[in-house]
Amino acid sequence: MPAPATSPRRLTLATSAIFLALVVLGLTFVIPFLWQILISLSSLTDVDLLSQTGFPPVLKPGNYPLVFEKVDFAKYFFNSFFVAGWVTLLQVLTSSMAAYAFSRIAWPGRDKVFLLYLGTLMIPGVVLMVPNFAVVLALGMFNSYWGLIIPGAFTAYGTFLLRQFMLTIPPSLDEAASIDGAGHWRIFTQVILPLARPGLIVLAIFSFLGNYNSFFWPLILTKDDNLRTLPIGLLAFDSTYGRETPLIMAGSLMAMIPPILVFLFLQKYLVRGIQLGAVKG
Amino acid sequence: MSQVTLTNVKKVYDGKVTAVHDFNLAIEPGEFVVFVGPSGCGKSTTLRMIAGLEEITSGTIEIAGRVVNDVHPKDRDIAMVFQNYALYPHMSVYKNMAFGLMLRKMPRPEIRRRVDEAARMLGLDQLLDRKPKALSGGQRQRVALGRAIVREPKVFLFDEPLSNLDAKLRVTTRTEIKNLHQRLRTTTIYVTHDQEEAMTLGDRIVVMSAGYVQQVDSPLGVYRRPVNRFVAAFLGSPPMNFLEGTLRRDSGIVFQGAGVRLRLPDAPGLAAALDKPVVLGFRPSAMSERQEGKFQPPPGFARGDNALRLRPKVIEPLGEMIDASCETDTGHRVIARIDAREDFPLNQPVDLYLDMQHVHVFEPGEFGRNLILAG
Amino acid sequence: MIGSARKRLLIALAFLLPNLLGFIVFTAGPVAFSLVMSFTDWALTRHNRYSDTAVQWVGIENYQRVLVGDEAHLFWDYFGNTAFLMLGIPLGIAGSLALALMLTALPAPASTPRRARYALLGIILTLLAVAGTWLLTTPGPPPDPASGSELLLRSTETGLTDLTRYDVARLRSNAAVLAAAAAGLVATSGLAFGPMFFRGLFYLPSLLSGVAMFLLWKTLYRPEGGLINAGLAPILGWIDLAARSSPPLLWHIAGIALAAATVLAALFLVIVGLSRLIHRDSGPASFVGRLAIVATMLAVGLGSAYVLVQLPQRSLLPSGRAPLSQSSLSTVIDRLATDLPSAPPDALRRAAAGLGDTPRTTDAISALTAAAGDSAADRAAVTRAVLDAAPLVYEGLTSGDGLQPPLWLVDARWAKTALIIMGIWAGLGGGTMLLFLAGLSNIPPELYEAASIDGATGWSRFIHVTWPQLAPTTFFIVIMSTIGGLQGGFEQAMVMTQGKADTIVLAYYIYNIAFTDQFQLGLASAIAWVMFILIFAMTALNFRLGSQMTGD
Repeated sequence: MPAPATSPRRLTLATSAIFLALVVLGLTFVIPFLWQILISLSSLTDVDLLSQTGFPPVLKPGNYPLVFEKVDFAKYFFNSFFVAGWVTLLQVLTSSMAAYAFSRIAWPGRDKVFLLYLGTLMIPGVVLMVPNFAVVLALGMFNSYWGLIIPGAFTAYGTFLLRQFMLTIPPSLDEAASIDGAGHWRIFTQVILPLARPGLIVLAIFSFLGNYNSFFWPLILTKDDNLRTLPIGLLAFDSTYGRETPLIMAGSLMAMIPPILVFLFLQKYLVRGIQLGAVKG
Repeated sequence: MSQVTLTNVKKVYDGKVTAVHDFNLAIEPGEFVVFVGPSGCGKSTTLRMIAGLEEITSGTIEIAGRVVNDVHPKDRDIAMVFQNYALYPHMSVYKNMAFGLMLRKMPRPEIRRRVDEAARMLGLDQLLDRKPKALSGGQRQRVALGRAIVREPKVFLFDEPLSNLDAKLRVTTRTEIKNLHQRLRTTTIYVTHDQEEAMTLGDRIVVMSAGYVQQVDSPLGVYRRPVNRFVAAFLGSPPMNFLEGTLRRDSGIVFQGAGVRLRLPDAPGLAAALDKPVVLGFRPSAMSERQEGKFQPPPGFARGDNALRLRPKVIEPLGEMIDASCETDTGHRVIARIDAREDFPLNQPVDLYLDMQHVHVFEPGEFGRNLILAG
Repeated sequence: MIGSARKRLLIALAFLLPNLLGFIVFTAGPVAFSLVMSFTDWALTRHNRYSDTAVQWVGIENYQRVLVGDEAHLFWDYFGNTAFLMLGIPLGIAGSLALALMLTALPAPASTPRRARYALLGIILTLLAVAGTWLLTTPGPPPDPASGSELLLRSTETGLTDLTRYDVARLRSNAAVLAAAAAGLVATSGLAFGPMFFRGLFYLPSLLSGVAMFLLWKTLYRPEGGLINAGLAPILGWIDLAARSSPPLLWHIAGIALAAATVLAALFLVIVGLSRLIHRDSGPASFVGRLAIVATMLAVGLGSAYVLVQLPQRSLLPSGRAPLSQSSLSTVIDRLATDLPSAPPDALRRAAAGLGDTPRTTDAISALTAAAGDSAADRAAVTRAVLDAAPLVYEGLTSGDGLQPPLWLVDARWAKTALIIMGIWAGLGGGTMLLFLAGLSNIPPELYEAASIDGATGWSRFIHVTWPQLAPTTFFIVIMSTIGGLQGGFEQAMVMTQGKADTIVLAYYIYNIAFTDQFQLGLASAIAWVMFILIFAMTALNFRLGSQMTGD
């Protein structure tokens, strides 16, 4: 048997020091969340004691169901998933089709139109908020799911990201498929989309997380409680029940779970996507 | 009737850059034609126009008697092997080969039969369930071949299919392609920048440069009778020696310049170029230390009329032969490929004798005409 | 290129259409629309379907109002707030780079068996740590209820929970065990999964960047009962104790020395930078960067020096101690009898009696020190005894006059700093760090090998290989963070301070004007465009400076 290749595993002083520093730093990331958990399990009267005792005298898991009783937290959850889910689906669909047109078909004026797309990426979102509000108002989408979903469904960013991704697929594949007898729609669905899957997943993650956390737009667009997404619901919860810190912490903790799950399962795509997004066009 | 005919085919990009000027060629059924030339010469563009991947600016392309200018690639009854193989990474080897047949709605058992047959022919039977990623470069190459074969097209198009393989694999795959062609007898157009590949594979070679066809001939034809200096320089390794000078009439026509003097056989083209600057060309292998056989002076020449006095500077032993890098009196370089011997002297003048059948005289310039053939 | 140009255009349009329509309606169109709006007096409260008032073209009036009119100070104030918050950007970038370097330096455990071995080792160590912490901190069996235990903690807010000394010890033990378990788990995961685990952990806040995380930090920053001040209180207490029990001259000297050292170092850096600039060893970009470093250094160094000089002058005491009771005073005196045998017990007792029913800790220490003999050693002993005896009931940060932890979000002097700290925490392991990691992994190893053959190690390796190779990455990050910084800061202010404590940023201003204050969409558009121009100018400046940095 050949000896296994030995990787350098000498625990030098420097690496040990770095490891130790990372553990300490890591604790500063863990402890706030532990603190949040502890508060969410405290009774209201014990919250102030926590800074002295470090642990609640009485554990109250009942805070969690209580959140759902105080406000329509389930509805907020549903709204967040519903809106973020639809935006993600539509965005991936429209962006991937547009990216196909920008990356796989040579048509007159393509680069100019793409430059226009790229140019709007530089425009701050805040500049768009005000006119978009007016547009949505004019379209009668104010205070509705439509208004929350439709404006987010078409992004220049998604198109840009997927175009970058599709450019890495060799053009000879389209040509081979074309000689094999495939038309554009078939090349798109059977060759490009399967190969761009990591890019689609990246966009889907970004889009879902972005819309799940989205604040400004739902804030100005929703009036009714039953349209509120989690961030807006939490904010309203905080301004109504702000003194009830355990409930606020329980609510925000629950709101944090979906992004963490997304991250745990899809982290390799996410890391790649962030790095891809930095590639110059 | 020819299988593929190109008539006055021209390609202009963006109305500015002309990639192919006036390309004319008729390819017979079953023929293996190689387009060869340096990169950017228009050979790939021409192939892609035949495939339908590039639009034709003007002219016509016919495949099997049908003008295909506006026919979609899939309807041209061709198959193409790409430089990077263009295998669908997300499909198995079987699916890669079957994809085109599926799109043509061929019955499943027939697809199975064809793919299995091609796989057996190419030794891919054990790999049909693998993804391209799990294959070696040579195996991928063979899958690309298989994908073309199963279609049973009228024409195979190869776009530099061997350039991604290592040197050894390139030679064996080359033989395989030749075998395949001899078995299937499908009309084949093959693009390469490698002159050795072109020589070994083609029934006919089309040498291209700067968008123009320079010469169309059999492999030995383009090698032995290059119509211009470009073709002469492009084919053969080590490349042909070129010496600049002028033609004078002495005892017959004599080339003089670059530190050498050489009597040339009479040819009508040469007589017309007297006292003008010309370029003398001869291959390294057209030289010998011994004045015997084809290296003897032709009839009417004095003994030694076909000799060049050179000073060897560096030798590179190749086994049977050596490549001697020599200098003329004026320091111009000449490479000679001669029979090997151990005690070859360096830096001393030595007489090397030319095979006068293979001495060429060109007009000056990169594309200077071969004056001997011109006559 | 298959098919004619016309046909390709039609096919492309078919693919593009869904996106293009949305793009025109919700992006390209609104940009143009917004520019037009900014020259009108459009306000939803006046111009709506119930009123006949027509929208008026007002020319540049909106821009005048924002930039030079009576309300202009608002814009500039908010711009100042935005700029202040952006000071966190360079710190955050430096931190992310340091973190990326640390993660790169950490070797990943290669094989699964080794991983499993590390994990096992980590779990065993964690269990040992947990058990050890429990053994060390657990208060043992509960005291006999009959003996009556001393009431130690009482929630002042409601008075509902009474805790004995034993209860507190038990709860603290729980907390310590929890902390030990957390530390052990972090270390174990780090051992088993290496950099990957840390990368994920540090990325966590970026995932949660939203209302939920801001609410968490709002809780952490609570002046009373918040985790941060709970952690700061003992540290400030130790500093206080140190300041009280040593000669003031020492602090003066330390402060002045620090100030002098800072100024000298700053001068040195500026001179070196100037000479490099004059000799064209480096461009203006690196000089600007150097000035920024110098400015930060001066601020931190001189600030710390000032604090050092001031420390002994103030009667400093940690807050968070309740007024003493007479019974706890007698405990103090009992203890001083052993700690300070030289002090006359009678004098101490008299001093204690003179303090009244519920003296403040500060007063008690002063009086008892005076009675004990008034030397520095006495003072320290007295302080220790009093602090140990004083019940931990939280009396609030506004009472007492010791070194006070900041009130953070409530205090206009601290709120923005609080937001910056949170921002750095949240952004440290985010996209910036991932980009740096990618940049670092793209540096060809041959460069490092060549550098090490040339004799470069450590810092010189970083300066001559790593930093220049990272320049394009850094450039990209700086541009993106600047753009983000100028338009950001709305959400956190909205959630954490509701715009109080001087935390309103430009985006918040736009929100206020457009969506709360009469829905003045025209004016808000004008502000948005001014902001856009600012962003554009900053980006252009970055490009100018950056092209010198990355240009080759």
